Amino acid sequence: MKVSINCSEYEFHKEPKFSEIVEFVFEMKKDDPMIRKMREKAGIKHILFVLNGRVVQPDQYDSLKIQEGDDIRFVLPFAGG
Amino acid sequence: MKSVWNKILRIDLSNGSCKAEHVPDEVYENFLGGAGMNAYILWKESPRGTTSFNPANRLTFAPGPMQGLKQSGAAKWTAGAISPAFHLNADSAATASFGIEIKEAGYDAVVVQGRAENPVYVVVEDDRAEIKDAGRLWGQDAYVAEDGIKEIEGDKFECVTIGQAGERGVRYANIQTRKKSFVGRCGLGAVMGSKLLKGIAVRGSQTITVHDPAEIDRLNKQINKRLADLDREQPEWLQMKRVGTAAATELFAPQGNLPIKNYRLADFPKGIQTHHASNYVKELNARPWPCQYCVLQCHNHCEVKEGPYSYTGKGPEYESFAMMGFNTMVDDIKAVAYACELANLYSMDTISLGVVIAWAMECYEKKVLTKTDTYGLDLTWGNTEAMVELVRKIGTRADGLGYLLGEGTKIASEIIGKGSGDWAVQMKGQEIAAHNWRAQYISALNYCTGVASGPNHERGNSQHIWVCHVKLPEWGIDDVRHEDRWSWENAADRNAKFHDYCNIINSSCHCKFMVFRGYTLTDLCNTINAATGLGWSMEDLRRCGDRITQLQKLLNIRYGWKKEHDFAYPKRFMEPVQEGPAAGKIPVGLEDAIMDYYSVRGWDESGIPTEAKLKEVGLQGYID
Repeated sequence: MKVSINCSEYEFHKEPKFSEIVEFVFEMKKDDPMIRKMREKAGIKHILFVLNGRVVQPDQYDSLKIQEGDDIRFVLPFAGG
Repeated sequence: MKSVWNKILRIDLSNGSCKAEHVPDEVYENFLGGAGMNAYILWKESPRGTTSFNPANRLTFAPGPMQGLKQSGAAKWTAGAISPAFHLNADSAATASFGIEIKEAGYDAVVVQGRAENPVYVVVEDDRAEIKDAGRLWGQDAYVAEDGIKEIEGDKFECVTIGQAGERGVRYANIQTRKKSFVGRCGLGAVMGSKLLKGIAVRGSQTITVHDPAEIDRLNKQINKRLADLDREQPEWLQMKRVGTAAATELFAPQGNLPIKNYRLADFPKGIQTHHASNYVKELNARPWPCQYCVLQCHNHCEVKEGPYSYTGKGPEYESFAMMGFNTMVDDIKAVAYACELANLYSMDTISLGVVIAWAMECYEKKVLTKTDTYGLDLTWGNTEAMVELVRKIGTRADGLGYLLGEGTKIASEIIGKGSGDWAVQMKGQEIAAHNWRAQYISALNYCTGVASGPNHERGNSQHIWVCHVKLPEWGIDDVRHEDRWSWENAADRNAKFHDYCNIINSSCHCKFMVFRGYTLTDLCNTINAATGLGWSMEDLRRCGDRITQLQKLLNIRYGWKKEHDFAYPKRFMEPVQEGPAAGKIPVGLEDAIMDYYSVRGWDESGIPTEAKLKEVGLQGYID
């Protein structure tokens, strides 16, 4: 199935958990200096995700499932987040 | 039924097909076209669970039965889809000649579905429809894209395009046409971008058959002359022909209707002086830039020849001035015009953009954002250079704050936290427009209850009965100047009528601005009847508007609307200003007024249309 992550399309197996998308993004961005720094300083929970226009809290990552055509965005926090 | 083709063009970007489809008369008799057609297409084709950027979301471009009639105001057309800003049914109207060309190509709508593998544009010329590669246009601004498409297809095509903001999913991205008119609010440019659709070019050579051509001719002459004469009677600096809607700042400032400093102040003397309509022509070298057939000519073409903000192009409208100038406290008229045109190039809605920037400025004032967060920009109120630069950052979705602000104030404030939601002047995810609820309480009710396109000043323009004395006497709304504008009396009924009125205007596809110079519901009804042969009375006209409103409500329920969303108005609604005509005024009693509106509308206490109401408007088979 296809989903959009920050306006680019990616293919996943059927109905992945949101946590798998989160891991995919971190893997994809592992060399991004800003994200690396953020992970080192504050941990992954400080990188925020938006699913279909709604902010997803880290405690929802394991329970949320993704559907065909979903729009996912990740946003780096500001002002302490 | 006349004045329609009974035909739509379906573009499926996933499989690369383009095909014409028949639409029965019944659909037009129920929903006319335009916004009504958009809602009908969503109802029929985008089921529960469809989200805004899902390929299953339908993006519909629809003119109505008025297009091609050569009447002043009959150049409007609409686009509709599920909004990425508020995730409900949305539509928006634009002008120039794109809708007329769709009609002359032989279609009542172009419906786009799916998602292309690579960036494309669509070209339609009568029976020919093709999907073409837009690789070299992707990443370009919306005007360059229009020029690029016309370079290939020819100047006689009318185009819609998106800029970088639409490509990159800014939730308030626009679609532009002719470098002068915009499908604004609600983020449909981002829906277009999500489909990797950079533009559509249309050209037609067919003439629609109307029911009574002689009557259309008579109505056109009589109406066009009346509108032009009434405009000439206005003071020069209030004539639509000279300054367009930008003149409204002069009308609205003494009423307390302007949004100033993120809606916190009632007065901005320097801004009122520098943004005065008389300066518009002088400083921006504004000249009329009319739409096809229009005698009012409210669009302007501007030319600023010197200085850091020199540009040639579209002159800002009232909402753009109010939001990008007054709301950010920027008092440089050239800078505001320049920033608005920059937003147009990237294809962003200047209402949401102005609120987003004002929200960021308030964050900066309250030290929630610091220079570390703002690329070193000093977001002090009124900082012209910072305002312009922030438009660039958001338009290109620069990493960091620019990206965050492209999500709109709802998501941005949820991510930043620190109480910043308290000054996010948005509802349901869409920023509030430049009609201040403190100046007339009916605006608050409209923002809370509108179903056509989220909280929207142009999908229920009931504020105009107060701020520019619009009347709908045929539906029982006369001059209200002797009444208390801070009262809820009659507000629910009037609000409902304006929601239905807007749906009729946006479904027949006529321009609401004509009403400022005396266009009446009788003119509209007579023209619809002469064009279509429907033979409607005023009650029939209202019933059609009501039916479309109810269908939009059913769509919103399908896509996730809940009653509590109508009551989650911005905290600022209940914060008074300290001076001016609206000093101390806050819409206390708004909750009861919302419940009154539900009742007037034929909805139950949960805000759901009753079975009896749906039966009354012929929608009993439309419940999910």
